[in-house]
Amino acid sequence: MTDQTNDTKQYDKETAIGGDAAVGETMIELRDLTKRYPGEETPAVDRVSMEIPKGEIVVFVGPSGCGKTTTLKMINRIIEPTSGNIIIDGEDVTTIDPNHLRRRIGYVIQQIGLFPHITIEGNVGTVPRLLGWDKDRTDARIDELLDVVGLDPAVYRSRYPKELSGGQRQRVGVARALAADPPVLLMDEPFGAIDPITRTRLQNEFLRLQEELQKTIAFVTHDIDEAIKMGDRIAILKEQSHIAQFATPEEILTNPANEFVEDFVGTGATLKRLKLTRVRDIAVVDDALIGRLDEPREDLQKRLKESEWTAMLLLDKDNKPARWLRAPDFRHDRPAAELGLPARAMVEKQATLSDALEEMLVGSAGVAIVVDGRGTYEGILDVDSIITSIQTMRDADAEFYRAAKLIDPADEVA
Amino acid sequence: MAFLEYLSSPSTQRTLLVQSLEHIRIVGYAMLFATIIGLFLGIAAHRFPAFRGPILSVTSTFLTIPSLALFALMIPIVGIGDTGPIVALTLYALLAIVRNTVSGLFSVDNAVVESAAGMGMSKTMQLWRIELPNAWPVMLAGLRVSTLLTVGIAAIAALVGGSGLGQEIFRGIRRIGSPGALESLLGGTLAIVVLAMLFDLLYLAIGRLTIPRGIRD
Repeated sequence: MTDQTNDTKQYDKETAIGGDAAVGETMIELRDLTKRYPGEETPAVDRVSMEIPKGEIVVFVGPSGCGKTTTLKMINRIIEPTSGNIIIDGEDVTTIDPNHLRRRIGYVIQQIGLFPHITIEGNVGTVPRLLGWDKDRTDARIDELLDVVGLDPAVYRSRYPKELSGGQRQRVGVARALAADPPVLLMDEPFGAIDPITRTRLQNEFLRLQEELQKTIAFVTHDIDEAIKMGDRIAILKEQSHIAQFATPEEILTNPANEFVEDFVGTGATLKRLKLTRVRDIAVVDDALIGRLDEPREDLQKRLKESEWTAMLLLDKDNKPARWLRAPDFRHDRPAAELGLPARAMVEKQATLSDALEEMLVGSAGVAIVVDGRGTYEGILDVDSIITSIQTMRDADAEFYRAAKLIDPADEVA
Repeated sequence: MAFLEYLSSPSTQRTLLVQSLEHIRIVGYAMLFATIIGLFLGIAAHRFPAFRGPILSVTSTFLTIPSLALFALMIPIVGIGDTGPIVALTLYALLAIVRNTVSGLFSVDNAVVESAAGMGMSKTMQLWRIELPNAWPVMLAGLRVSTLLTVGIAAIAALVGGSGLGQEIFRGIRRIGSPGALESLLGGTLAIVVLAMLFDLLYLAIGRLTIPRGIRD
């Protein structure tokens, strides 16, 4: 790692390993990590030890001032630890050159911090250029990444940050962090400063992205709902970053380790668990009645009449949902494309049941249309499926508590 | 109408042109030195809080010294001629440059600097690639104020044996009451005003050319 070419090679190798995401392997290890500010009696972060498995999102969540951000920022040494060790992919990085370390770690902060004086292209290309990539490779990578985060490179490459909306800036921030394909990402309340609707969409998009990328991610939030949604594992932190519980979201919701966790998770655990289950986890109706926009209306009418369905979904030529048709709609003498209601309430498979339920309520159709990332039709989700899923959860809970009574509490802790 | 006659005389025009060029030379040197020193002091004051107070109070003290006195004080040190005025003007120009460099650097969003650090830029890279370009519009405003200030004060150079448009002004002052005196006084002053406006235009152009579109208002 004496010169940049070496550095780059090292990088690609690490990424290749990251792609396989061998289960259970530790990517980031914190050993007794402590931060003590001069002149303060108690340390801001006190001997945190934690292992973050490769390919997982681990969320640090806790009340403000608990040291979660400080802990995160010690991983890339934006804040230098007072004592303790940081081990990334088997290498102790506590004392190596921080600038080299940081080029291997993607970093996204709440305020995003895009460089206002350079274009989107320049922003995204920052780390590749620092690593000494040639121009062609950097250019290709910038296009690829803007595509990945859903921004058309032809349109956005030469824009400046101030010409983008908050949501678009956040996407650029993520693209910039991913630029050199780092195996590790640190995200400090990345969706914190964005309006709720855009936030939900960005969260879903990010989860879809993560399914492909399999990065190891440390993620800070103060919002337990976001933690439950985003985390493969959640670390609930008390003051000085003491870990109150470090477990999967399911475990935390069904089996809070102590009163602190219980209080922090708060009430409405069932509703929260709607955020845990994703559309892809439950049965989606995939035999719904489908018509095409360009079909003759007589055919559509006939098929609807003959079916047991009360409504028919029309798709356009790209298989994207276009309109809902019901039998009375055929009274109007208009082409099929203008009959019925526009198809709304679309969710992707990564969306949580909570998102889907919200869409249904907003869309007033009582169903949500499941689409893939490009908006292509995949199936239908109705309220019944969600209620069934809630009941299953409840039953499972009941069984869990019955089982819990039969076993020794001491075993369970282990 | 005597003034128009004065202005249209070829000898006046030649004098004013030559003196304007001398004036520009004095201001140019002073601004060059002040920019280099001011940039350095400004960056130091931003980076090291311990230096901030002393640097800012010393540079503002320069501005409180009466200009005539400061120019005269230069004579025993560097003798007569343009050197003294250039040194004095450099000292006057420092405050606005230093102050605007400091406040320009402070105006850069912390998140921007933090993300630059988070991407692995060294302190030097952060300064040159991120902080200074973003502080530049404010710094440029400081340079502009300093330049306008020195264009005016540079007239005093003529009193300590220096060159520039001050010569024409003091020629008028010395002969006040006699014919042509007022014309000289006005002519020199007018030329200084014109110079100041030209410098202003120059800064406008520099701003257009050097401030990236992303941070222009």
